Amino acid sequence: MLNLIRKDIALQKKTLIILLLPLFAYLFFGSSTIWIGVLFCIAIIMQGFSMDEKSSSNLLFNSLPYTRKEIVSSKYVGACVFTFLVLATIFMGNLIIHKEMIQLEQLLFTMSIVMLFISFAFPFSYLLNSQYLMIAFAVLFVLYFIIVNMFIPNLNDRIRELVQTALSFDNSLLYLIVVVSVLLIYIVSWMLSIRIYSKKVF
Amino acid sequence: MENIIELQGVNKSFNGFKLQDFTISVKRGFVTGFIGGNGVGKSTTIKLIMNLLQPDSGTVSIFGLDYKNHEKEIKQRIGFVFDENILYENVTLNEMKRIIKPAYKNWDDALFNQYVKKFELPLNKNIKNFSKGMMMKASLTIALSHHAELIIMDEPTSGLDPIFRRELLELLHELMQNGEKTIFFSTHITTDLDRIADYITFIHNGEHIFTKEYYKIEEEYAIVKGETNLLDRDTEREFIAIRKSNYGFEALTGNKQRTEEVFGDAAILEKPTLEDIMLYTKRGKDKYVESHS
Repeated sequence: MLNLIRKDIALQKKTLIILLLPLFAYLFFGSSTIWIGVLFCIAIIMQGFSMDEKSSSNLLFNSLPYTRKEIVSSKYVGACVFTFLVLATIFMGNLIIHKEMIQLEQLLFTMSIVMLFISFAFPFSYLLNSQYLMIAFAVLFVLYFIIVNMFIPNLNDRIRELVQTALSFDNSLLYLIVVVSVLLIYIVSWMLSIRIYSKKVF
Repeated sequence: MENIIELQGVNKSFNGFKLQDFTISVKRGFVTGFIGGNGVGKSTTIKLIMNLLQPDSGTVSIFGLDYKNHEKEIKQRIGFVFDENILYENVTLNEMKRIIKPAYKNWDDALFNQYVKKFELPLNKNIKNFSKGMMMKASLTIALSHHAELIIMDEPTSGLDPIFRRELLELLHELMQNGEKTIFFSTHITTDLDRIADYITFIHNGEHIFTKEYYKIEEEYAIVKGETNLLDRDTEREFIAIRKSNYGFEALTGNKQRTEEVFGDAAILEKPTLEDIMLYTKRGKDKYVESHS
């Protein structure tokens, strides 16, 4: 399984290096670190995922001495590795550019959002295809705009407020509960993906 | 003789296609050619053997082991080649090797380099720029570089020029000389099999028709030619299928000796090609279906 994760990193090496530039640019101009983190993590993870979606790569890796369980698990563990890499880069970048440490809460919050996203995106993509995921998101995006424009004009502010309140909670128990439940969701999604993938026909 | 692949009473149905009570075995240490028309279940069978598909019922055992408990162990010992390119396109062969190498315990870099040299493959060119023949050679190189005992190939010669096809067959022949290898490959270019196959497994519409030693096919089957007036209800039963024309008939028999006894000198018996056998068997089956439905 470690081989499979190493393979994903090796294949995305070039993309990762190219992405460093916009990442630092964003940081330099002081965009929200949570937003940058979520965006880069998801982009990198989903790109790696879609690379192996073609039936030819499925044929290859299922014919090599790997089990389907390992193939799915490598994507889930790999997603954590990529998230760690991105967050570590942002942390370092922030330290260098702005000479300040990012709060642990912010990192945890970013990680939770990415993991929640993956928990939904992976089983969905194993069931259908990650291309449909893009369509689903396009639809959601349009819906979001309609809602913002027609019903809650200040939705963006409300979300920002909500995030701020969540981050300002000084309650480590609350954080623990959030992190544990995200982890649980992630694990359930992982098991579900293994089930879906083991029934797949190439 | 020991079987290296055994499918016992396998049923698998999907998308209007069906393998029914399918039983085949492949002998260790020989080359078995796997023939049948398009869409009769060759690729499905190979996918079942590779555990890319699981049977609805029945058992698949490779090296005497089952996939449920020994999946990785089995796959360690198999080398595979598919008719489509399954390597990443945007990497070089060298990078592809680095991806696949750690999967196999017995990977042999020296052997890999030997084949790369032999096939004159570029190590630092993106695989998407390879010709069809080069992709095939690249897949084969990877399949042969981990000392696999069993080589499984799905239509390896399709789309290749005659020269490379001949070279490939020579290479397979060489492989068989040194050691305990088994080769199982599907093809519909039946002349490929003349050169190397020890056994022929023939399937039609998801049904196993026969597995025979190559030379025995010639002993058992024959194309029979004669005047149409030789045919009547009884004699027609001797044949798998018959083609009639104004000049006479041509038919395939699966029992050459008996046919010789029945017709004597009145009919001419000729050696059938595998294509003859495939064609007549298909006609015979279709007719059988017609008359029973």
